[in-house]
Amino acid sequence: MTVSHSDTYAIEAKDLNVYYGGFRAVRDINLAIEPRKITALIGPSGCGKSTVLRAFNRMNDLIPVARTEGSVTFHGKNIYDADVDAVEVRRRIGMVFQKPNPFPKSIYENIAWGAKINGYRGRMDDLVEESLRGAALWDEVKDKLKESGYSLSGGQQQRLCIARTIAVKPDIILMDEPCSALDPIATLRIEELMKELVQEYTIIIVTHNMQQAARVADYTAFFTVSPDRTGYLEEYGETSRMFTSPTSRVTEDYITGRFG
Amino acid sequence: MTKSNRTSVQAFPEGQEYDTYVKRRQRKAKTWHGLFFTATLIGILALAALLLDVINDAFGYVAIQSKVSESTLVGNYFKQQMLDARRTLTSEDDQTLVDNVATRGTAVGFFGYAYYASNTDKLAVVAIDGVKPDAATVADGSYPLARPLYVYTTEEILQAKPQVAAFVGYTLDHVNQAIGDIGYFPVSEADLAAARQQWQAAASNPDEAATFSGEILSVGSSTVTPIIERMAQDFQANMPTTSVIAESIGTDAGIRAFCLDGRGDLLSASRALTQVEEAACSKEGRDLIQLVIANDGIPVVVNPENTFATNLTLDQLKQAFTTAETWADLDPAWPDRPILHFIPGADSGTLDFFSAEVFGTRLEGQSATDLAAMLKIALSAGRVRALESAAPLNEQPVAALIALARSEIIKPTGAGSWSLFESLTRRAEIAAEVAAMPDTELQFRSWINKNFLVNAQSSDPYKAGINIAIMGSLWVTIIAFLMAVPLGIAAAIYLEEYSNGKSRLDQIIETNINNLAGVPSIIYGMLGLAVFVRFMSIVTSGQLFGYGDPATTNGRTILSAGLTLGLLILPLVIINAREAIRAVPRGLREASYGLGATRWQTVWNHVLPSSMSGILTGIILAVSRAFGETAPLIVVGVSTFIVVRPDGPFSKFTTLTAQIYQWTSRPQEEFQHLAAAAILVLLVLLITLNSAAIYLRTRYAKNKQ
Ligand SMILES: Nc1ncnc2c1ncn2[C@@H]1O[C@H](COP(=O)(O)OP(=O)(O)O)[C@@H](O)[C@H]1O
Ligand SMILES: [Mg+2]
Repeated sequence: MTVSHSDTYAIEAKDLNVYYGGFRAVRDINLAIEPRKITALIGPSGCGKSTVLRAFNRMNDLIPVARTEGSVTFHGKNIYDADVDAVEVRRRIGMVFQKPNPFPKSIYENIAWGAKINGYRGRMDDLVEESLRGAALWDEVKDKLKESGYSLSGGQQQRLCIARTIAVKPDIILMDEPCSALDPIATLRIEELMKELVQEYTIIIVTHNMQQAARVADYTAFFTVSPDRTGYLEEYGETSRMFTSPTSRVTEDYITGRFG
Repeated sequence: MTKSNRTSVQAFPEGQEYDTYVKRRQRKAKTWHGLFFTATLIGILALAALLLDVINDAFGYVAIQSKVSESTLVGNYFKQQMLDARRTLTSEDDQTLVDNVATRGTAVGFFGYAYYASNTDKLAVVAIDGVKPDAATVADGSYPLARPLYVYTTEEILQAKPQVAAFVGYTLDHVNQAIGDIGYFPVSEADLAAARQQWQAAASNPDEAATFSGEILSVGSSTVTPIIERMAQDFQANMPTTSVIAESIGTDAGIRAFCLDGRGDLLSASRALTQVEEAACSKEGRDLIQLVIANDGIPVVVNPENTFATNLTLDQLKQAFTTAETWADLDPAWPDRPILHFIPGADSGTLDFFSAEVFGTRLEGQSATDLAAMLKIALSAGRVRALESAAPLNEQPVAALIALARSEIIKPTGAGSWSLFESLTRRAEIAAEVAAMPDTELQFRSWINKNFLVNAQSSDPYKAGINIAIMGSLWVTIIAFLMAVPLGIAAAIYLEEYSNGKSRLDQIIETNINNLAGVPSIIYGMLGLAVFVRFMSIVTSGQLFGYGDPATTNGRTILSAGLTLGLLILPLVIINAREAIRAVPRGLREASYGLGATRWQTVWNHVLPSSMSGILTGIILAVSRAFGETAPLIVVGVSTFIVVRPDGPFSKFTTLTAQIYQWTSRPQEEFQHLAAAAILVLLVLLITLNSAAIYLRTRYAKNKQ
């Protein structure tokens, strides 16, 4: 693994350990994410992918029993420092979840709300249109912006969630298995969208679908578990190399489907 | 592995054995189904029984006894007015009246029709509202001073006593020929034919040619007696072995004698019996047959010289015999000459009848002057002065005067009350019972009525109302609401969204709230008594804010009660709000936090709106609880008898439930009816409250989508 000056990375985890109560979910994670690239986190279920992803925007703070050790450096600052506001972190590092979760509001309001609470002062109509275009949803919803976000299909809902995330102009977008609840066609559209978004944003995506990782990710991080069920980072590198010549035996087994 | 597989396959029942197994299973399912259904049914039946019980007590007959009956009051007043009118001569002898009117040019008078009929050349009859009395106008009732006269009997009597049947038959056949002589008007042929048919059916076609003997007793109206007597005379001429006795005791006494005492074969009546009276008769085994035998009409006459007063309106007629002094008073075009009155005397039924028909028998419709005069005549001077303290009686509104006449003179009091079930099943029995009481009227009463809703508490159950109790309940509930809802929701938000449940304090709060919800309400009452009524008395009595008299005020106020109930429902609000908040999907919170929202923004914009329907449900349950609570209020000091409307949080008060409780503990039956009525009101209010909540909930649920 290349170790270089953290400024060149979008975000970097160092010696990251996350505990749920007394249980250590992941241990000693060192992971530096390249800016404006798609990084996929893969691995068997329960190995701590989501946990690590959520550690990147302090989402684990919302779980009362969760405790984080180590550091996550973002713009040269450890986001876990006492003087850092978790709310500010999450504004800069947006998140898209496994199950599409639009607000029970209109499509327009879904986009506008995040901007509003973050003090957006520009023209809201422009922002809504721009964000929906950015999420490749504009043409499908431009005539029904007043309708409820729930009236959309699953894939559209997920793109609405992406539009909502980019409306607050984050630096990084975290996606936790964003396609697992979608059909293959909707999945493909999201993948295409990710490839467009990566022009402007750094994307970290958790996926259990190796083909998806192979298709979209520039970098891939492979996680696995030790016998005590604690997850750790087994291997990390460029996707093309990982899938052709993994250095670790475990990685190879997993990728070739011999795992478990 | 293979071995264990085989044993397990064999261990399943097969064929016959399997069929019985399935059958047994189905039987079991049926049993459970039946059990659950029965449980539901019992629940529903219990509810229905409760409701029926309340409704049963909230409606039903009441017997209202008057000190003076309304018709007596009104009738006597106008009779006296006529007797006291200037230039009035009364005589029990109608011929005297005829002679006077016949000889005095400005006279007016009235008397039995027979006297007019035999003196048509000396008298001029006046039309009333354009109608003159003759056979047609009297029979169809278009002449205002007309009434049918009746004879009642029963099928049993007609069949058991052929002489009675024969006499009735004879009367129906011959009455119209003699009626002119007797001084009344004939019944229309159609009516007579109908009566005949009825008689024939009841008497089973008696043999009219046969001879009969025995006694025939007629009781009742003195107006009808001359007809009976005349018919008896003719009848006995052919049938000397019979004897007809006519007891002239008046219609009301006749009804009592005939129905209650079972005296007499015929009941004569100068008015139709009321439904209640007929029911009372049937109850005693006398199912009445009503036969119209004649019509009565009183002519108003003037001297033939009088050519102007050919027609009088009803209003003019009233004045002519009371206030008007000259004919010009009635119509400016008429001569300014005094009116001389010649009317039957005070004991005459004709005067009663005239007064009743012309002036009416009810307070409604009378002028303020007349009503005020009635009050002044009936009441002591001191009482009148007291009533006039605000304004002279003459100037008080008619409705107020009527109410005064009711409460001061008629003084209706309850003389008995019955439940709805009794009213429906024992109608005749009750009617008979009431018919035996003097000046007593049987009314169907809804104990829930307008007065019940607007009146204050009273020791007279017929005047008592729940207005103040409802106001008290609303005040107390609103204060409980204002206290418990903001506090409860805030606490629920804290516990669900802010506290991580790790600190000791949080854990203590957590367990205590759940326990508090199970504390008996009386304990809250004692807490409220100690804290709000006693300790914080200076605040809850309003003394701190300059309300109330320091010497008499104490903390037994709406505020104390509201705060106590607020405490009582606080855990309910918290627990329900927590449930609702917990039910908000995690994804919604994550979406919000993921956009950089603060905790408060997340709670306010997403968690609360999404859980609002659940929170509302909880609030409504809690408010209903507060509204229906009694025990803690009794401890805190609800007033048992209060007639002042609460005007603020520092007022003394009573509540609907306390009122119900107080009424149910009274021995008089009437208060049980009041309690039932109040319970119905309480139920309606609670159901309204809940319906509003359900409406709000569905609205919220729709908005969420
Ligand atoms: N809120 C939580 N409380 C306790 N344990 C958790 C919680 N979330 C995840 N875990 C545990 O942490 C481990 C990693 O979970 P997760 O990060 O969800 O794995 P993945 O996303 O790779 O499937 C699992 O053993 C899981 O049971
Ligand atoms: Mg996961």
